[in-house]
Order: sequence, then structure tokens, then C-alpha cells
Amino acid sequence: MTLARPTCREIEPDLVALAAGEALPAAAAIVETHVAACPPCRNELAQYRAIEGLVGELRHAPLSDADPMLARAHLESRLADLRSRMVSFGLFSSPLGPILIARSELGVSMVEYLDSEAAESRLARLVGSNAIESRAQTEALYRELDDYLHGRRTRLDWPLDLRWARSDFQRRVLETTSRLPYGAVTSYGHIAREIGAPSATRAVAQALRWNPVPIAIPCHRVIGSEGDLTGYAGDKVDLKQRLLALEGVPLVTHGAGRVMRRAMYVRYQAGSEYCIPSCGELPTTPLAELTLYGSRERAEAAGLAPCSSCRPDLHPVLHP
Amino acid sequence: MFRVMAEDAFEAVVAAHHAEIHRYLVRVTARASDADDLSQETFLRAFRAHRSLPADANRRAWLFAIATNLFRNHFRNEKRRRLAYTAAGAQMSTSDHGRPDGRVLAGEAGAVVDRVVAALPLKQRLAFTMRKMHELEYDAIGRSLDCSAESARAHVFQALRKIRRGLDDLAPVKTELTP
Repeated sequence: MTLARPTCREIEPDLVALAAGEALPAAAAIVETHVAACPPCRNELAQYRAIEGLVGELRHAPLSDADPMLARAHLESRLADLRSRMVSFGLFSSPLGPILIARSELGVSMVEYLDSEAAESRLARLVGSNAIESRAQTEALYRELDDYLHGRRTRLDWPLDLRWARSDFQRRVLETTSRLPYGAVTSYGHIAREIGAPSATRAVAQALRWNPVPIAIPCHRVIGSEGDLTGYAGDKVDLKQRLLALEGVPLVTHGAGRVMRRAMYVRYQAGSEYCIPSCGELPTTPLAELTLYGSRERAEAAGLAPCSSCRPDLHPVLHP
Repeated sequence: MFRVMAEDAFEAVVAAHHAEIHRYLVRVTARASDADDLSQETFLRAFRAHRSLPADANRRAWLFAIATNLFRNHFRNEKRRRLAYTAAGAQMSTSDHGRPDGRVLAGEAGAVVDRVVAALPLKQRLAFTMRKMHELEYDAIGRSLDCSAESARAHVFQALRKIRRGLDDLAPVKTELTP
């Protein structure tokens, strides 16, 4: 039924749409009917179709002076740089309490106990930078940590990203500390000696106070010169006790706690043997010259042989 | 162990869309070097944001929106700079938005399309380029231009009408026009 024929003006939008291939079937039919009887509109339709043809040519014309491959190469290098700065972090409920693990492309960059104010401020700093919460990126790390905290593994062989260490000094302290084996303890003074700065005991303690990756870098194995546990992660000396107990280090746990030096095997300086604690001058030797082991197994796992004079293999230390 | 999966996913985004986004920016900017910078910035922004993007999001449309926003900011700054040139600026605006790459369309009609498109108001020009050069859906174009799909379509049709009038001013285009 043909009621009032639509005017040329009325069909114009549908005519443009038809030429562009976008008209709905009903509208297309109306336009087709109209142009069949209206030469000027037929011309318009043909013109618009011609424009579509020109536009199609334009679409396929090469953009000759553009170099997308070069632009892409530049982009890739910027992205690589950005990626190396990015960290992913995950929050987990560990046996030691809520814990954050953050990692970059290079390695683990932060392990944080989360209920202290200091930790919250570090987390805030992370989030403010290129940090993204991603359990997927950190879950495998947490599983290893959980195994460690349950005694199912004795090492966390994580690649570490220490770019956020505060100084080269701190990096040296952290690297030296990272070599302290499972089940062994030594003093801040010992680490200071190891890095060739024997008078820097307090600076070593300060550097370890800001250890960005506790547990992975076992600063809990570093203690005071009298065998006292001093501090850990702010006010968490109880965690230090638990980590050391897990490794079989004999402890007196009242107060801040201390290691039972007389119940531990001893390595003198960088020697290749381990002794019972009463061997020779050892009872009066400063802890800064010693490394203590919670058990013979731990000393031998660290590559030490039993001392040929005190024979710890024949006269083991009796734990009280 | 330390390959990062989410970032691999982004590599796929770059592989799939960089060439096209770059081409889009070459089309809308006057200089290829601007297109290089803007496409780089587009993907750096996308990289920072893509992890919070829903898995089923239309990444292509999203990248066009980022690129378009960056270009519009860039264009505003350029325009401000160009205002300092007055008369020279008027001359530049035609030659500048012409084919920066010396690409030549067959025939005068092609040149008219080029010239008309270059002189279009910004939103029309962008809508036209996204629709006609990259065949984007109108709702994606609308998202890029902060308008509805209907307005996006209206911008494209306005552009087509202007091209149509531009052709009228010239010798008629050869068509299979019947008397």
C-alpha cells in the first residue's frame, strides 16, 4: 500500500545508509522504490555509492612513509623497561600471620609481615608504583614459603630482585646473610667482619632491620653478640623464635629469647670443621668469630667435617 | 618459572593490534612521528590498565578509545601552538592534514575526498576514519568520542554529505548514471 510517498528529504538519511551498506531492509526497500521514480535521488544514490568506492580505495592505499615495524620496536623496548619495574604482589595468610609477597620480572622483591604500621606504609608505596595485586603471579612462591614454614623444605631458592635495597652496603649485608645456612646462627658482628667492615655492627643490624625479603634472606639467623635474639621485623621477635625453632636452633624463650650457645655446634671463623661448644678456646671466643649450628646434621649439610680433636661425631652435644 | 602470564597476554594484544592502531594514528595525525609517539603512548597506557580489563572486553575498541583520547589531547595542544602562526597557520592546516605520506589517490575525486576529510571538524573526521578506514562499530566509535552510537553515526553521515557536496563543486564523478 502506497500512502503518501516519502519526500526526497525524508529518505535522504536512509539513502546515505543504503549507499554505505547500513540500511535496514525495510528502509532500503523504501529508498529503492523512491529512486526508481526519482531521477535526482537516483543520482544521489549513485554519487554516494561512488564515494563508498573512493573511500574503499583510500582504505587500501598504503601509508608509505609510516614505519609500523620501527614504531613497534620502540614500543617493545619501552614495554620491556616498564615490565622490569612492575611488581605483582599477593597477600596470604601464613602460619606467621598475614604476609605479602611481591615480585618483579627479575625476582622476589618483597616479603612483608603485614600487621605493623611500617609494613602498611611499604605496601602503600608498592601500590602507588607499578604494582598490581596478582595471586596468580605469587601463589607458587607462597606455596614454597608455606612448605618452608611447615618444615617440608629448608631452602627458598628464589631469584631475588634487590634493586630497592637502600645502598650497596645494605646489598652486601643482605648477600652475606643470604649465605647463612638453614639451622645456623651468627652475630651482627660476624656479618660485619665478613663484609670487611668489622666495626659496622650497628650498621649491619640497621641494614637487616630493613631487609626487604625476610625469610628468603634469613636475617632471623643473625643475633646479638651475647646470643640474644635482639629484634626482628619491628616488634616481631616471637617470629624470629619460631623461625629458629623450626630450624632446630635450641632457644631460651623467656623475654626476647636467646640461643643456647652451649647446646650448639660451632664453626670457628671460616674453618672447614665443626666442634662441640667446649672445644679449646671456643667458650670464650666472641660470637662475631663463630657460626653456631643447631645440630650435627645442619653443620654437615653446610659442608663441615667433625673436628678431629673434640670429635663432635663421637661426643654429641646433649640438648638440655 | 618467572615468565609472567598476564604480560604474555599483553604481548598478544600488541601483536594483534599495534599495526592497526599505528595506521589509524598515521591517518589522523599530520606527521608519522606523532603517530609513532601516540601509538607508543597508547600501548603503554593499555599495558598499565589491561589487567583490570574484563576478559571478554573488546580490546580493539578499547585501544581505539585510548588512541583517540590521546590524539584529541595532542590535537588540542597542536592547535594551541598553531594559533601562534595566524596566516601561516591557515595555509598549514590544509597542507598539513593532506596526505603526509605523499600517497596519491587515482583521480581528482580522490583528492577531493582527501581534502574534505582533512577539513572536517575533529569528531567527524575521527568518526569517519574509524568507521570508513577501520570499519569499527558505531558503539565503539561512540565510546572513543564520548558520544552515543547514534551521534557517532551522525558524524560519519555528516562527513559523507560534505564529501558529496565537495564532489559537486568539482566535475561530476563518473557514475553509471542513467538519464
